[in-house]
Amino acid sequence: MLKLIQNNRELTALLAIVALFGLLGAMDSQSFSFQTLGMIFGSAQILMLLAMGATLVMLTRNIDVSVGSITGLCAVSLGILLNSGVALPLACLATLGVGIAAGLFNGVLVAWLRIPAIVATLGTLGLYRGLMLLLTGGKWIEGLPADLKSLSAPLVLGISPLGWLVILLLLAMFWLLSRTALGRSFYAVGDNLQGARQLGVPVNRIRILAFAINGAMAALAGIVFASQIGFVPNQTGSGLEMKAIAACVLGGISLLGGTGSIIGALLGAYFLTQIDSVLVLLRLPAWWNDFIAGLVLLAVLVFDGRLRQALDKNLRRQKYARFQPKTLAKKSPTKPSSTRASRRMKANKSGLSL
Amino acid sequence: MKQKMINRNLRKGLTHYGWEGALLGLLVVEILLFGLANPRMLDVNTLLFSTSDFITIGIVALPLTMVIVSGGIDISFGSTIGLCAIALGVLCQAGIPLPLAIGLTLLLGAACGLLNAALILYTGVNPLVITLGTLYLFGGSALLLSGLAGATGFEGIGDFPAAFTDFANLTVLGLPMPLIIFLLMTLFFWALMHRTRTGRNVFLIGQNARVARYGALPVQRTLFALYGMTGLASAIASIVMTSYFGSARSDLGVSLLMPAITAVVLGGANIYGGSGSVLGTALATLLIGYLQQGLQMIGISSQVSSALSGALLILVVIGRSASLNRGLIRSVFQRYRRRWSASSSLTS
Repeated sequence: MLKLIQNNRELTALLAIVALFGLLGAMDSQSFSFQTLGMIFGSAQILMLLAMGATLVMLTRNIDVSVGSITGLCAVSLGILLNSGVALPLACLATLGVGIAAGLFNGVLVAWLRIPAIVATLGTLGLYRGLMLLLTGGKWIEGLPADLKSLSAPLVLGISPLGWLVILLLLAMFWLLSRTALGRSFYAVGDNLQGARQLGVPVNRIRILAFAINGAMAALAGIVFASQIGFVPNQTGSGLEMKAIAACVLGGISLLGGTGSIIGALLGAYFLTQIDSVLVLLRLPAWWNDFIAGLVLLAVLVFDGRLRQALDKNLRRQKYARFQPKTLAKKSPTKPSSTRASRRMKANKSGLSL
Repeated sequence: MKQKMINRNLRKGLTHYGWEGALLGLLVVEILLFGLANPRMLDVNTLLFSTSDFITIGIVALPLTMVIVSGGIDISFGSTIGLCAIALGVLCQAGIPLPLAIGLTLLLGAACGLLNAALILYTGVNPLVITLGTLYLFGGSALLLSGLAGATGFEGIGDFPAAFTDFANLTVLGLPMPLIIFLLMTLFFWALMHRTRTGRNVFLIGQNARVARYGALPVQRTLFALYGMTGLASAIASIVMTSYFGSARSDLGVSLLMPAITAVVLGGANIYGGSGSVLGTALATLLIGYLQQGLQMIGISSQVSSALSGALLILVVIGRSASLNRGLIRSVFQRYRRRWSASSSLTS
């Protein structure tokens, strides 16, 4: 059982989701329905997109704290373009361009100029936020055209066009990360940079690509935000960067790079949004949200950390068992170590911080 | 002979305090530039009393420097500030005498920091991740407490006694109270970091935690002390801010998170641990703070100043990165020149 959870870290997030729904069903059986699932998916889309982007960046052992600002910048550029009469598809493309450019800039700072990722994106966090406010002059953007809002109206099975796009992107990214050489090289770069370079992985290009895709996802999140809300306030996106990282961590993606899957990030994002919705359905005041989110996040972290330490200890005992006197070794029969766990242990050993 | 000695001492000072010197130079240039645009900036009183607006950044950045040097990080201090401020407000509302309330608030702050350290040491998980969790926990507790106390999000908890709200506006020896606290803390942390055995231990832990443990350094105790001090400093910052603004709000510290980390990094600390300087952080705090103040004073909106301080951080870090990787840049440059000269000799 423990092994199963250790090898499929997404399961903890899934368990948390099911438990929360169970709680909701037990307390108030009427509000639990397929519709609730869809409703939460609707409000989780922004966080899901950001978590998908953050997954790529975290797999390469980097971190991006500027996504909230990129989301805001992109939402604002979309609003300005639309209000100045540009057609919707063209405006969306241009917005994506803005996001990719912002992500590329982050990537270049990290990969080519060798600035630690958290420092570089801390700088661009302020930079992009300032650019966004410069564009709007600190005002809100209102009166967005109706066809933008129709992107978030239910289309098929109660899911909006943008919702289907999120699902499509999820499938595409799942396939990319688990089935293609390009996707696996994200894992390789995060797991062992030097080893990846010697395997012939274009290390710098992969890292820049991760940041660029992250920027594109943030741009999409900005589009989703504008189409769901219908206007763009000037603090759009602030605080989202921490939520995206929290979603990834909850879903079992390691900040030390090289482990985790896109499904986990998605489940984490879903869970964080679900807390908000379930509290509303249970008629609890909103000020419980962050407290419960923090408690759950910490519980998952403590559980995961202790589990990993126990596994490591077990592995070490197996490794040194043959150097101990026979009688001692016989008393504690050991199983042969699995290759997967030993690889994970090496990944842990190589990084102390960040 | 004497001249030579002075020269040697000067060079030693430059290599030891090179980055702090550069920061000091930048600070002077910055103030002079703003002074050219608006002579009021050069007024000593303006310079001194405008620090009250931003000096709390420095109060939390100082212990944060030590945490970062030890190879960890704490991003939960913003929420700790909010929690402590709300706790102080609730305690005062409940009619507890002010000195006791302040003491309890300080204890709460230290307890938050110790909880961080305990979780980090107990689980062995990356400090960034753990403090991300406590960021939500403490922030959520602050919201919960203010919600239960019936305070609205925007107004917070007001009506403190006048003696308390005057505290942040007191002057001692012509200096504003928050600045005095900051200077005393700078002195304390400078001595602790650069003049005691504990300080050396912090550097060694940051260089290599595993070796530090094998070397029988008190790793756990040191880390508990570091995170505890960060929590304590957050509580101090929350008291100063509550007193300065006259009301306690749960989101008081949110705006400090990024500037404080920026100050530590700008002050020359390595984000991966192992090196850093308390003096540098203190100077970087003034640099960032006066940048905000100066831009405001010459009529540039606070929106642009956030962009400018972000750009400043990136530029300074690029400069540092370039000077640290000088050999690499030279080799890349030479490789390109060789390739270029080879191709041009081929064509000719």
